[in-house]
Amino acid sequence: MAIITVASVSKCFHLRPDRPRSFQELLVSTFKQRPRRALEQEFWALRDVSFTVEPGETLGIIGPNGSGKSTCLKLLTRIIEPTRGTVKVTGRVSALLELGAGFHPELTGRENIFLYSSVLGLRRQEMARRFEDVVAFAELERFIDIPVKFYSSGMYVRLAFAAAINVNPDVLLVDEVLAVGDQSFQTKCLERIQELRARGVTIVFVSHSLDVVRSLCDRTLWLESGHLREDGLTEAVVAHYLQRVHDKDEAAAMARRDVERAAQSVAGKPQERVDVRSMETARAAGAAPAGASSSAQTDEASQELATGAQPESSTDPLARYRKRWGTREAEIVNVRFLDQDGRERLLLTTGEPMMIAIEYIAHRRIEAPAFGVAFHRNDGLHMHGSNTTLAKFDIPFIEGRGEVRYTTDVLPLLEGTYYLSVAIHNVAENQTYDYQDFGYKFGVRLGPVSQRFGTIYIPARWEHVPGSAEKVREAGE
Amino acid sequence: MIAKLRELLGYRELIESLVVRDLKVRYKNSMLGFLWSLVNPLLLMTVFTVVFTIMLPNVSIPKFPVFVLCALLPWNFFHTSVMGATNSIVQNGHLIKKVYFPREVLPIATVSSNLVNFLLALPVLFLFIIIFRVPLTIWLVYLPLVMAVQVAFTIGIALILATVNVFYRDTGVIMEVIMQAWFFLTPVFYPVDILPEWRTLWGIALPIRRLTYILNPMASIIASYRSVLYGFTNGSPPAPPAFDFFSRTIVTSLIFLAVGYVIFTRYSHRFGEEV
Repeated sequence: MAIITVASVSKCFHLRPDRPRSFQELLVSTFKQRPRRALEQEFWALRDVSFTVEPGETLGIIGPNGSGKSTCLKLLTRIIEPTRGTVKVTGRVSALLELGAGFHPELTGRENIFLYSSVLGLRRQEMARRFEDVVAFAELERFIDIPVKFYSSGMYVRLAFAAAINVNPDVLLVDEVLAVGDQSFQTKCLERIQELRARGVTIVFVSHSLDVVRSLCDRTLWLESGHLREDGLTEAVVAHYLQRVHDKDEAAAMARRDVERAAQSVAGKPQERVDVRSMETARAAGAAPAGASSSAQTDEASQELATGAQPESSTDPLARYRKRWGTREAEIVNVRFLDQDGRERLLLTTGEPMMIAIEYIAHRRIEAPAFGVAFHRNDGLHMHGSNTTLAKFDIPFIEGRGEVRYTTDVLPLLEGTYYLSVAIHNVAENQTYDYQDFGYKFGVRLGPVSQRFGTIYIPARWEHVPGSAEKVREAGE
Repeated sequence: MIAKLRELLGYRELIESLVVRDLKVRYKNSMLGFLWSLVNPLLLMTVFTVVFTIMLPNVSIPKFPVFVLCALLPWNFFHTSVMGATNSIVQNGHLIKKVYFPREVLPIATVSSNLVNFLLALPVLFLFIIIFRVPLTIWLVYLPLVMAVQVAFTIGIALILATVNVFYRDTGVIMEVIMQAWFFLTPVFYPVDILPEWRTLWGIALPIRRLTYILNPMASIIASYRSVLYGFTNGSPPAPPAFDFFSRTIVTSLIFLAVGYVIFTRYSHRFGEEV
């Protein structure tokens, strides 16, 4: 039998900005004529969501911000009740929502543990039996009898976590609280959750950290604007979710850039187009909403992209490096990033093919030009630089319009935000026609290659040959 | 309804813990913590005694300190309970928003901890009873019953006000004023027989004494305490409260309790969102 049953549950929050909140306001509002509009707005946080959880199952809930994850969890704890439908949870529910919420500062750690456990409906004797465990887990043996108002915030959270997790719950609800304490305590928390899981405790886990969801949960729900979009095995759901998030980011970024480009062509200043374009790229990339996070690193990347969304790119840490110089006898008028299907992208994928198309216009015939590119990570690290001379790729001359393409089959950049500098100069490198330093910004996300450590992705293979070193060498010969 | 009450019963340990928390916090930071809680009623008793026996000597009530203290202590219990319970839900918002438990636990715990306080103050009352040689009679057996009636009434009021305060946050401010008025309208520091039987106001004859009892359950409760602990102002010894009068008081209190509980449970599912 299911331990959690959620049957066609909808939750509506009434947003009534002008509902009187005190008798004073009530009195005033009865005498004052108010416009009738905006009296009541409805917000459906969940719409017709149904699922069941079997005992011992570990369920993850993922979804972008505002998709109803937390509402869902609150319904499971019975803190709020559904507008329609029913929620049934059997057994003791312990929620790691906001740690230490029930603690009273004047009481000692010991007293608070007992108070907290009785809030969760645990018998006093039962807690007394586990008390030593809780204290040992929280590493607070020396401080358990002083009021928690004297605790450091780390001690406080440790005590709260220890108390919440040791009440012997049948169902444990976890909402993004594992980012507490030092590294070793975090590991300990995760271990304890794994342990509870092994012991058959049902766990519902809401998180933005898809990695943790992947490692903890057998099954995952994907919520999107209140609807249950997918319910299935974690790997599949997470993959679909990531795909969707990236598509959405890309679409939003493109749409934004197209709008700006259209505005630009109306303004009609072709010679400044490149400069504007570079800013556009930065801004458009910034339009990608945060939420496409498969790890903490992605969060940083999205954050970085988000800051670029400011109309003034002054918040862009590398904006001050953006420079352009050269004689402009030949100019770079546009740079596009293309994926393997030839579609233009602002967010590329590690390990997949990428093509950079550099459109130029040469105002006169230029003999033996050289095109160069350079990649910088958003912290300023120079990742790579190359040009056609070094690559022994000859371009006899350029005249009028054209395009130079720089292609890699395996993009080795890891998740993050990068800047591309492009340049046209002569082969001898004593004449610069157009140099756009840090001119273009693009993002990289992790794809199927789940490589994320270090600076670059090395497309390598692993092999294993058992036996002694000599034998192996012999076999090799 | 039955299921809800059974659930509440399952959480009695939480009520206990909350009461213990309350008392600990209240007394923790002062050596004389408990004695401090006696200062207020004793001071008031002294003031009323001075006013009514020295400054206004024509109101002659025998053993005035006992007369006033056996009403002041229950009144204090009522006052602190109501004021505390009004804020109990909002004040414990951090709990309400994070954990599920039957919400009525909070006002009930507030009333309970004030009841404990009241019980702790009773020995002082008995000390005064002995000092002033008020006879201790067999009718003291009624005292727990009277207290039970008061607890029922107080919890009823507490549940209603706790609910109202969630939606209208200035309930506490208004209650402060109402409680003051209520105190003066309740025969605490004056005997009920001082009230006129009939009084004509704007041409309408009003049975003041009866109205006091009918409209103000606290007047009946206080009168019951007084009749059991002190006796009567004409000097007759304690007696049980009149049967019909006391049954009416019991019924009124139970009605308040039931109404309070229904109102509270009707709205308590919204507390998680409103707090």
